[in-house]
Amino acid sequence: MSAFSFTRMVTVARKELFDLLRDRKSIFWALFAVSISGPIVVGLLYFITKTVSERVEKTTAPIVNTQFAPDLVRHLERRGIKIDAEPKNYRERVKLGELDAVIEIDPDFAKALAEGRPAKITLFTESSRDRSAPIVSKLSRELQRYSDTIGNERMILRGVAPAVARPLQIEEFDLATPEQRGARLLQIMSFYALFAGLMGAIAAALDVTAGERERQTLEPLLTTPVTASELAVGKWLAVSAVNLLAVTTSLIGFLIALKFVPLAKLGVPFNFGVQEFAGFMAVLIPFAFLVPAVFLAAGSAARTAKEAQSSLGMGASLVGMLPLISFIRQTQPPWWDVWVPVNGQYAVLSKVLRSEHIPPLDWVAMWVIPIVGVVIALMIFSRRLGNEKLLAGR
Amino acid sequence: MIVVDTLTKKFTTKERTSAFALRATTREVTAVDRVTFEARDGEVTGLLGPNGAGKTTTLRMLSTLLSPDSGKASIDGADLATQKAAIRRKLGVLGDAKGLYWRLSARENMMYFAKLQGMNETDAKQRADVLIRELGLEALGDRPTQGFSQGERMKVAIGRSLIHNPQTVLLDEPTNGLDIMSTRSMRDLIRGLKAQGKCVLFSSHIMQEVAALCDRIVIIAKGHVVFNGTPQEVLSTTGLASLEDGFVKLIGSDEGLFA
Repeated sequence: MSAFSFTRMVTVARKELFDLLRDRKSIFWALFAVSISGPIVVGLLYFITKTVSERVEKTTAPIVNTQFAPDLVRHLERRGIKIDAEPKNYRERVKLGELDAVIEIDPDFAKALAEGRPAKITLFTESSRDRSAPIVSKLSRELQRYSDTIGNERMILRGVAPAVARPLQIEEFDLATPEQRGARLLQIMSFYALFAGLMGAIAAALDVTAGERERQTLEPLLTTPVTASELAVGKWLAVSAVNLLAVTTSLIGFLIALKFVPLAKLGVPFNFGVQEFAGFMAVLIPFAFLVPAVFLAAGSAARTAKEAQSSLGMGASLVGMLPLISFIRQTQPPWWDVWVPVNGQYAVLSKVLRSEHIPPLDWVAMWVIPIVGVVIALMIFSRRLGNEKLLAGR
Repeated sequence: MIVVDTLTKKFTTKERTSAFALRATTREVTAVDRVTFEARDGEVTGLLGPNGAGKTTTLRMLSTLLSPDSGKASIDGADLATQKAAIRRKLGVLGDAKGLYWRLSARENMMYFAKLQGMNETDAKQRADVLIRELGLEALGDRPTQGFSQGERMKVAIGRSLIHNPQTVLLDEPTNGLDIMSTRSMRDLIRGLKAQGKCVLFSSHIMQEVAALCDRIVIIAKGHVVFNGTPQEVLSTTGLASLEDGFVKLIGSDEGLFA
């Protein structure tokens, strides 16, 4: 067999890319899907954060038995909380979610307070409902503040410094920068960028492998001087170009959405500038070349386009879930975490979002793993293309 | 000039006794068994045989898609086993699979193969223009092949295999599924190739087809060459009046034609 010809490889790559881009409908829908994911996610985030902060701001406190604690009611009102006096059926309504939380004042409250006994207040909540949590914590914080105020006053009356009752001074010092706090919310962006890198290649990879066989064009192709390895590399470059287009489109979608949605106003300081974009591309470019190589090797193993489609689609969705492990995991990631494809990319993208320093070894992983992966996958793909069983078993 | 010498190809097939059988038994089938013949330049050689006789497998071996298990073959002196790249440049192949790229135009389909054959842009363009004119595809040349009729697709496929002006042309059932008009123009094209001094080897399971075109006929059945000679010799060997009867007698069964 003749030696690897660069010209023929480029001819294959150009034809495949041209052919793939001719499929305007598929290309349009694929790019459309990845480009709107960014705006949708950012828009949803904005909407959710906005609703939560508005609800917390406009908290109303349903109080039962207001007559026993007029001072507490006044304290809450001064703190800007509206009072909803004597709600009916409050236990059921908390359970059903109509009320987030209800303060019930014990009938003995006034007497106990006057006598210096602990006066009882019950806070009815429903802890399995996440959306009530911020309001519950606000109310319980305000009640605690009221309790502290009375306690301090009592001590001063008795000539004792309030500090006596507070032997410890506990301070929380949050080392997270505003970017890091914002990044937690937008982790989802790295998730989507990786997802675009996985999904963007499927249709194209199917078209140039199983599609080539189904159209019965592989046999004529192999009677020309083109070799299996030239075909493999050419097809890989074309599919990678399409994939890179998908990844870039997805990122640009996010960029545009972030420009127009004022997340910072809601206390979600988020920085996605040129530096972050460059960091993302540095991770995603090798990834965008790795995925097609793997898909081509896998796609050429399937007998029909349908078989390839279902196996690739399933594989991509499963692999796309890998970052969820890091998302849920509570422990420190192990050292090899960054060397696992997809998972490692996700980890480094998160660091880029958090403006963290990325160790050089991480960058090595981001490039070495894809390069090794591409070489192995292309060797498998090229061997399959050159295998005569591929023609016989059609 | 094609020289084929005792070319043999075996396939192993897996067979299950029923759809639910767990174990498949492998069976070895000799698809092409010591096939020997020659096809000369300036002649049309017909490879005639019933379905499943081994015609396609023979042509696939000659076009380097399958490697023979034993035996030798050469095309214009280039050895099949050792000079695959040279053979691929010498050959124009219209194989069993005649698929086109649907989204590309007729011209683009041809140009792709021209470039893979190492032609430069200008030569490829000129040659594509000539073929499009010769094949009567002027009106369709720049349309995507998706909507083409079967005959039009066949024309593009043949144009694609002749794009580098090969000396030797292999055609696997080139008239299959074509209507009378398209079959006629395909015959004219084959005669034209012969007139240019090319070596044409084409396979068919239709006797009339072969009789109308061929200088020599190689009849194969069940992987063996059962006859090798001119159409007249079919009649003289079998002593029958019609080529079709002669063909049936030579392949040794009636049902072979429709098997």
